Amino acid sequence: MGNFKIGVPRALLYYEYSLLWIDFLEGLGAEVIVSSPTTKELLDLGVKSAISEVCLPVKVFYGHVMSLKDKVDFLFVPRMVCVEKGAYFCPKFLGLPDMLKSSLSPLPPLIEPTIDVRKSATNFKNAFLEVGKSITSNSKKIYCSFIQAQKNFWLYSAANKLEEGDLNQLQINQPINKSSKGEGISLNVALIGHSYLLDDSFVNLNLISKLKKAGVNILTAEMVSKKEIEKQLKKLYKPLFWTLSKKTVGAALYFLEKKIDGIIHLSTFECGEDSLVGEIIRQESHKYPSVAYTEFVFDEHTGEAGINTRTEAFLDMIIRRKIYESNHT
Amino acid sequence: MKVTIPNLGNITLIAAKSLFVNLGHEVIMPPPNSKRTLDLGVRYAPEYCCLPLKIVLGNFIEGLEKGADTLLMVGGWGPCRFGYYAETQKRILKSLGYKFEMISLEVPRGNLLHQLHYVHRLMNKNSFSTLIKSFRLAWAQVVAIEDLEQEALRTRPREKIKGETTKILQAGFSLMERAQSVEEVEKIKQKTLKNLERIKDQGKEDLIKIKLVGEFYVALEPFVNHNIEEKLGYLGVEVERGVSVQPWVTSALNLNFLKGGQKKEGPVEKAARPYLPHSVGGEGQPTVGNVVLASERGLDGAIQVIPFTCMPEIVAETVVKKVSEDLDFPVLTLIYDEQTGEEGLVTRLEAFVDLLKSKKLNRCLT
Ligand code: SF4
Ligand code: SF4
Repeated sequence: MGNFKIGVPRALLYYEYSLLWIDFLEGLGAEVIVSSPTTKELLDLGVKSAISEVCLPVKVFYGHVMSLKDKVDFLFVPRMVCVEKGAYFCPKFLGLPDMLKSSLSPLPPLIEPTIDVRKSATNFKNAFLEVGKSITSNSKKIYCSFIQAQKNFWLYSAANKLEEGDLNQLQINQPINKSSKGEGISLNVALIGHSYLLDDSFVNLNLISKLKKAGVNILTAEMVSKKEIEKQLKKLYKPLFWTLSKKTVGAALYFLEKKIDGIIHLSTFECGEDSLVGEIIRQESHKYPSVAYTEFVFDEHTGEAGINTRTEAFLDMIIRRKIYESNHT
Repeated sequence: MKVTIPNLGNITLIAAKSLFVNLGHEVIMPPPNSKRTLDLGVRYAPEYCCLPLKIVLGNFIEGLEKGADTLLMVGGWGPCRFGYYAETQKRILKSLGYKFEMISLEVPRGNLLHQLHYVHRLMNKNSFSTLIKSFRLAWAQVVAIEDLEQEALRTRPREKIKGETTKILQAGFSLMERAQSVEEVEKIKQKTLKNLERIKDQGKEDLIKIKLVGEFYVALEPFVNHNIEEKLGYLGVEVERGVSVQPWVTSALNLNFLKGGQKKEGPVEKAARPYLPHSVGGEGQPTVGNVVLASERGLDGAIQVIPFTCMPEIVAETVVKKVSEDLDFPVLTLIYDEQTGEEGLVTRLEAFVDLLKSKKLNRCLT
């Protein structure tokens, strides 16, 4: 096959797997077109084409698909079911290709491998190799391309992890200089939640740059090792069975245990996982009164002004609390 | 041990109750679902979680108020959030200061000891044969209840005196509650069927027929769905249920091996395949399959009932829109939350039934 274009929507699990996907597809000789970052127009497109009950991130995904569909020969939309024993993705990932095909037509053909490691231990690899076959007949090229992409992907995720002891270096619970009234200290605040909320600055209304501007040192679940997350999750009486939420809850428990200054849980209004997971984190946070905890709930109507106010109030609260504590110890 | 079981129509009121009573437990059923149940659930449950969790939480609170000390639930392992209900409810109730044990039955996974402990508690030192006997009785009740309810759905639009179907059904169920053997259950069922047959106006053959599909709990709990089946019956519609407790119990207990190994693709999944080839948890795929089948079998339309924010059914709703277009088969999706009012519902049902009627008339004329 000659030069053809494969579209990858910059939404949902793109934020977890983009490196792997893009490297692999490009390695096969395809031209990969990633949709541009989310904008108002894009979101509006999504809102118009999806049913209203669906969660914001899926609407955003629809928007990205709409923006790509006339520019590419194929769309890459894997059906992500299960990538680890005992945990799934949420039902919307299980039915994502079908939802798209049902509500958006005409669409270019979808490349929709089903990733489900319950079927066999090598399913993950096989699904990719299968995709490769539909693109090129050179099986060596397919294999090498997958191995290379996977290697890069692993290297990248490992590079982001906090080394054991890193958190201490961040001087958690930095004492506050009484006279400074909280000026010039940097707060350690963790942002937790689905990566497609955290990493899409349009959806989270520039929360990260706001916090950075306020001098906040931002921590995320990406920085916590998988082993540590699994360890933290043992605290739950019943194991969680959602891959994405496991990461969120495990990281939240870790940051609570490390008594960092604050945690913000980013969630979306119609998300099935967040409604229960939010409750767990909220309850666990009661056990660590020194850690400030709040939840920011996003939907397509959330306004930037509201988030600004809430962010300021949250940071203020942490600083006031720290001043109070330093005055009383 | 004083056990309470969440309300789910006549199924828990009769069958589940009889199972645990026969195992020698004191069963304290929560009061029938009411506005108060809902209010309690809404007050203490996470705001955005689905309606079933809220109402069941309300059931537990009202059961605890009546003196229960053991809460019985079923669990699961996703991908829909039902599997984490019991755990969340336990946390909430503990934080409210209630003292109780939560028994959440599920296929063990890494928590085998908990599950063995639960089963041991529920067995209550009974012999295995008592357990089997109690279970068989309860199962016979489940089957009888569902058969009778389905028959009532055929009878109601044909009854000569309004309300008679419901009366006969209730009389049958109050006998059923006291039944002590499988034979007795069967006898009551046959008698009730005969009584239902007697009140039917045989002249009414060609009624509007609607398939009722959607999320398990909302479809089966009349308080929650505002008695949708009865309402449709009084509008002269014959309802066919697409949701049943039976497959759900067998798969929840993982008794599938009784039916020959691994879960096979049934006719419903097969019908869903062109539109939704993969399971999405809950009733998502069956909803789609049932709509396709209903259209093939010449029913007039389908109604999908779903709780607000329900994950599998939102996927199904999206897909069903396409099915409905492709097959020119009307489907009404009703979304329930704590604000859903009875009046709005009636208006929508009436409008939908009118649409089906005029469609049917057109078909007859051409
Ligand atoms: S996990 Fe939540 S936000 Fe993500 S797709 Fe599922 S429902 Fe939507
Ligand atoms: S099927 Fe829907 S309503 Fe039922 S528990 Fe799952 S998400 Fe909630």
